[in-house]
Amino acid sequence: MLSTNQFEKLLRFAGVCLATGLLIEALCLIWATPIAFIVFVAIGGLLILIGLVVYLYLQVSTPVADD
Amino acid sequence: MPPATTLIVCLVLFSAAVIGILAARPGFTAGRGGKILAFVAMFCLPIFCGLLGFSSEMQRSKTTAFCLSCHTMEDYGKSLLVDDPTHLPASHYQNHRVPVDEACYSCHTQYAMFGGLKVKLYGLKHVFIYYVGTPPAPQDIKLYEPYNNRECLHCHQGARSFEEGVVHNADPVTLPAIRSNQLSCLSSGCHDSVHDLAHLKGAKLWERGN
Repeated sequence: MLSTNQFEKLLRFAGVCLATGLLIEALCLIWATPIAFIVFVAIGGLLILIGLVVYLYLQVSTPVADD
Repeated sequence: MPPATTLIVCLVLFSAAVIGILAARPGFTAGRGGKILAFVAMFCLPIFCGLLGFSSEMQRSKTTAFCLSCHTMEDYGKSLLVDDPTHLPASHYQNHRVPVDEACYSCHTQYAMFGGLKVKLYGLKHVFIYYVGTPPAPQDIKLYEPYNNRECLHCHQGARSFEEGVVHNADPVTLPAIRSNQLSCLSSGCHDSVHDLAHLKGAKLWERGN
């Protein structure tokens, strides 16, 4: 089980990956060149994928709180 | 930039901003509302934005401007403006027989199952060679496989000019041979003036096309 500190660290890491990936994707959409397509998929897509995996890992490794 | 792309960029930036706030203040996600917000912002929105962006990039990769943005393709772009009605790509481009914005893709895709995917992979290879490898000289560029009549017939099949063309009906075997790809439209001496780069220098170009 993750401690609160670890949880926040990982959430922050996932957030940074996702936000950076999305910013790269936004830039590539504006920067209309063939290389932008490669950057969009290879770097933006990879960062988003890492962010999603870390976020999903956080969800499955955190105990469900009783409401 | 097309309005649809602008909208996608706005959505992507909005998503990045919300995710940035959540990453800066992870405490927001402690409550039920925060958890739902985090799920939407950190799972649903990135997937949605990624798919929209990918679709937009794929659409852009079909455009004539995209293909001609590589230096190697400049002469091929010029050959679309040759002032000669027998020059096949030029006559198609100038008379809007293909969509002007997607001129290259319209003729160089494959109208078969997974044909679009196959040519996209070829395109990726071209981009890779252009930036990482050594691109060939424009005149040395060859098709991966002989041009298939299927690509021509995608539009011309059923058209009166094709079905009732004098040469096409000169004998009863011609049309079936064209349809079965046994008689090539391009390399059988009929419509063989295609991207003739060797004679591009000095050729008269259609000025309004620029």
